Amino acid sequence: MQNAKDTFYIALRSRLASVNPARTMTLRAVARPGILVSEAEAPAAQPQLDAFALSWTGMQADLQLAAILAQMTCEIQYSTVGTQANAGLDRGRALEEMDYEVLHLLYPYSAQKMNYTVNPATAMETMVFWSEPEFGPVVTLRDRLSRTAKVTVFAFQEQGEQ
Amino acid sequence: MSTQPTMPLPALPPMGRSVRAYFAPVDRVRRLPTLFDPSLNGRFATNTPPTPWVDLGWIEDFTRRSTSKYGELVTGSPATTQFQVRETVDATVSVRFKAWSKLSMALAAGSQHMNLIVSAAGGTANGSGSKGVAPVSLAAGSTTTFLAMAASNAAQFAAGSLLTVDVDYTGQTGFVGSGVCAAYVSSAAAVNNDPDYIRRVSFNVARIASSTPTGLQLAQPLIAGAPTATMRVQPISGFVDREGGSFFQEWSALFVIDGEQGERILFHYPRLQSMGGAAEAATVLLSPLERIALSATFRALPVTDANDGEQVLCFRTFLPSPATLI
Repeated sequence: MQNAKDTFYIALRSRLASVNPARTMTLRAVARPGILVSEAEAPAAQPQLDAFALSWTGMQADLQLAAILAQMTCEIQYSTVGTQANAGLDRGRALEEMDYEVLHLLYPYSAQKMNYTVNPATAMETMVFWSEPEFGPVVTLRDRLSRTAKVTVFAFQEQGEQ
Repeated sequence: MSTQPTMPLPALPPMGRSVRAYFAPVDRVRRLPTLFDPSLNGRFATNTPPTPWVDLGWIEDFTRRSTSKYGELVTGSPATTQFQVRETVDATVSVRFKAWSKLSMALAAGSQHMNLIVSAAGGTANGSGSKGVAPVSLAAGSTTTFLAMAASNAAQFAAGSLLTVDVDYTGQTGFVGSGVCAAYVSSAAAVNNDPDYIRRVSFNVARIASSTPTGLQLAQPLIAGAPTATMRVQPISGFVDREGGSFFQEWSALFVIDGEQGERILFHYPRLQSMGGAAEAATVLLSPLERIALSATFRALPVTDANDGEQVLCFRTFLPSPATLI
């Protein structure tokens, strides 16, 4: 399943660099596209603003097929307080922009499964595919607006894959 | 020597999760089905069925129906039923195949199942594929998983692509197809005397694992076994079936339910003929994402039980759990 999770993240990261090259963040002293996997970063008290954080939550498996079909829930959380230049009054617009980007990051709803544990990464046999996003309500905490979009990621477990 | 006495439980209701399907060819020419003998192979491992059974995986919506009709012999006043008679013996089976493959598509569609031969340049458009590229010949040394051929021929096939291997059509009539009777040809004119016709309907298909200068390594064994010298190879891109057609697929079938306490229920239909057209059933994974299954319906045809000469349509076997009384 880890290859599917890696593939999903890298696919979204690559698409973000194309959809909005300006959405970057500096994390552990490295400037990179504004998307991260929460479980692969140090725990943080506050979410990274103006970036997408992927959290893997639910997990199911269909064992009655020739290959196990894993079904994993990924929650894409994002928050913004708007821009300083506009005194945060554009935070609604900034959140809408991130909503729009989520739609573009997820489409098309599939990617070639890759093994990123080897260098260079190698293409595997199957495709990772996912559902359309299910957007949660806006959560307001003081000047911060947040939303979570839930996506279900599907992947067939290939032979020899952990 | 003494053995520990066992304390079995009373008979318990079987509880199973799903049904596994296996199919095997029927020799239509000699009218010989593939018989499954539960006294020999009843406890076979589900992932490795005995030869020549083909595993079609877990199925869903498995439904058996007996449509046999009974009559009664009534005599006396007031009339009282004295005897019963079986007027007709008939049974149907319907399933949904979760996975799409050459075999599951053919079973579901019921009539001739076509291989979509890669077309030659300039072909005339046709619903089940136009004239294919020229076939290539085999060299000596082919096996069920390796097709020996000249390097120039092997170079025409890419790893990962599909192929069909069978003899040329040279005017044969009757059942055609190596390994499996794939179609019935009434006359050469009916199939336009097409030399590719048998390869077009053949079940002798495979995916190529690798292409080497000495031939093609296959990713799966050919259903007809090691190819003969007269067989030739053509690339295919997929499969086509049709609503209609004059041919009925006929296969031997075996359905297995494994119970949670070690019991096993087997349903063996020596002769099943397709009786439905092409249809699908969608199961929503997460709207609008759906899993598409193949719906199939069959009519059971009779065989003679060698033990008592009775004409029967199916055999139901129960292998009890070792934990229960019988």
